[in-house]
Amino acid sequence: MAAMTPRERVQKFFRREPVDAMPVFSGMGLVTIQAINKMGIRFAQVHGSADYLARSAMTSADLFGFDSVIVPYDMCTMAEAMGRGVTVYENAEGVLYPTVPDKWTSLDDVKLEEGWIDKARMPKVEEAFKILLKEANGKYAVGAWVLGPFTLGGQVIELDLLLKGAARDRARVEAFMDKMTDAVIDVAKRYQALGVDYMNVREMGSGTDLLSPRMWKQLIQPYLKRIFDELKSPKILHICGGTDLIVDLMNDCGADALSFDQKNNLVETRKKIGNDVILLGNFDPWDTLCQKEAADVPAVMKACIDAGVDAVWPGCDIWPEVKPENVAAWVNTVREYGKKPSPAVGRI
Amino acid sequence: MVSEERRQEVLKSLSEGVVEYREDQVKDSANAALEEGMDAYDAIMNGLAAGMEIVGDLYDRQEYFVPEILMCADALYAGLDILKPHLKTASDSGARGQVVIGTVQGDVHDIGKNLIKMMFDVGGFTVHDLGRDVPLEKFAEEQLRTDAEIVALSAMMTTTMMGMKKVIHMIKEKNPDVAIMLGGAPVTRDVAKLFGADGYAESAGNAVQEAIKMIGQLRKLDQAGMPAK
Repeated sequence: MAAMTPRERVQKFFRREPVDAMPVFSGMGLVTIQAINKMGIRFAQVHGSADYLARSAMTSADLFGFDSVIVPYDMCTMAEAMGRGVTVYENAEGVLYPTVPDKWTSLDDVKLEEGWIDKARMPKVEEAFKILLKEANGKYAVGAWVLGPFTLGGQVIELDLLLKGAARDRARVEAFMDKMTDAVIDVAKRYQALGVDYMNVREMGSGTDLLSPRMWKQLIQPYLKRIFDELKSPKILHICGGTDLIVDLMNDCGADALSFDQKNNLVETRKKIGNDVILLGNFDPWDTLCQKEAADVPAVMKACIDAGVDAVWPGCDIWPEVKPENVAAWVNTVREYGKKPSPAVGRI
Repeated sequence: MVSEERRQEVLKSLSEGVVEYREDQVKDSANAALEEGMDAYDAIMNGLAAGMEIVGDLYDRQEYFVPEILMCADALYAGLDILKPHLKTASDSGARGQVVIGTVQGDVHDIGKNLIKMMFDVGGFTVHDLGRDVPLEKFAEEQLRTDAEIVALSAMMTTTMMGMKKVIHMIKEKNPDVAIMLGGAPVTRDVAKLFGADGYAESAGNAVQEAIKMIGQLRKLDQAGMPAK
């Protein structure tokens, strides 16, 4: 039987149909400095060009054998389009991701102008998806991601206003969260309409390092439910940091798959969610791909698989300055050790 | 002089005001402390800081999370702003030392940094706050300018953590005796060790725990009549 293409593998994986092997992919940034260097550009240049975004994603997948490509790489595209600006650190040494320099200083100031969704770099990201869907079509799965409404909120307004406001100024915070939720839905639907293969909603700033489970249920869950109600499958919910206390709440949001970072106890999580939900996670990308010796990487991947994931995902964007031999160890170990069925996805 | 009974009453009100994040109560009690002749340092350490220690316990027990801590910090600052100008002795008002603090370039998140800053403010340090998204060389320049004993660096994301290593190298190269503290979600003990730092806290919540522990140590030293530095 002919091997599946990466795209077929990922599509079947999310439909929970049998696949030939565990796909090696992510719902977060997979760009590598090796791809950037091969293109002869600097990291700071990649974010503002549809062509650079698409080519760097495909070159990274070509170099290391990933099953997917995914863009954009920075978390500022929507905030920038909303008028908050972006700093790309053109003259910084090494890799530095863009940030949002100008946040609204009060909830009352937050106003989204008509047509914001077509401003700044938003059209370039859409163009990058179009290039990927055309040129990587049939070869790589094309992944997309959006920030969750709370995390997006933290990009456009001082986070402490939001956190304190949740207790002191609930009505205005809820109105703000509604605005952010509408924005997330609009953008995610646009990417889905282009034909991306999966959509990851990264509510990364909402873990229990910051919020109590009680506040998560009140401030985060209703908005995520609304988002997942509106989006097509496959759709994934990813949260970084402390998540053990909110696994059940996350599982009630309506996503097809849950993704966690390295702080999550995957064995316990699998028990809580059962075998019908796709579980993704959860190696520490910086430690595993940039720090460890390559010989130590297979044990990390095997531990994730043994803990019950359906695909081994990094806990966050991979740090672009990876050791190539470590990435090779990630890919090879998952291909080999992931031949057996996982709890939610069988094998052909 | 205020009676011991009244002193305890005011201290309790300051402490409770911080724990229950009641800014008005803290302001009223801080003003009362000054009007009634209480020592400002006593009110800060045994009222406001004592309240923050209780907040730390509540965080440990997962009754309080970061939003509550932020509101408690607001209440603490409401009192500190009133009391601090009335500190009497040099050792009360800043001779404990100086600290340069900021969030490294590429990172605009500063909740953890602000909580650690609070600890230094309460502890009587002179704080040079560089803010957030601070160019790496600025930390070294500010340390040299101020001769600060401590430099505290914060990064919330893995993607900005790498800048810390460069800052540590820049500072230690010129002045190996400077103590460097790292904070932020991606910072682990191993990372702190690898980068050559002297201390770390891994999240905003942990930062406040560490800060509260340090305040607790200062209070114990003060109560034992020992020099705090």
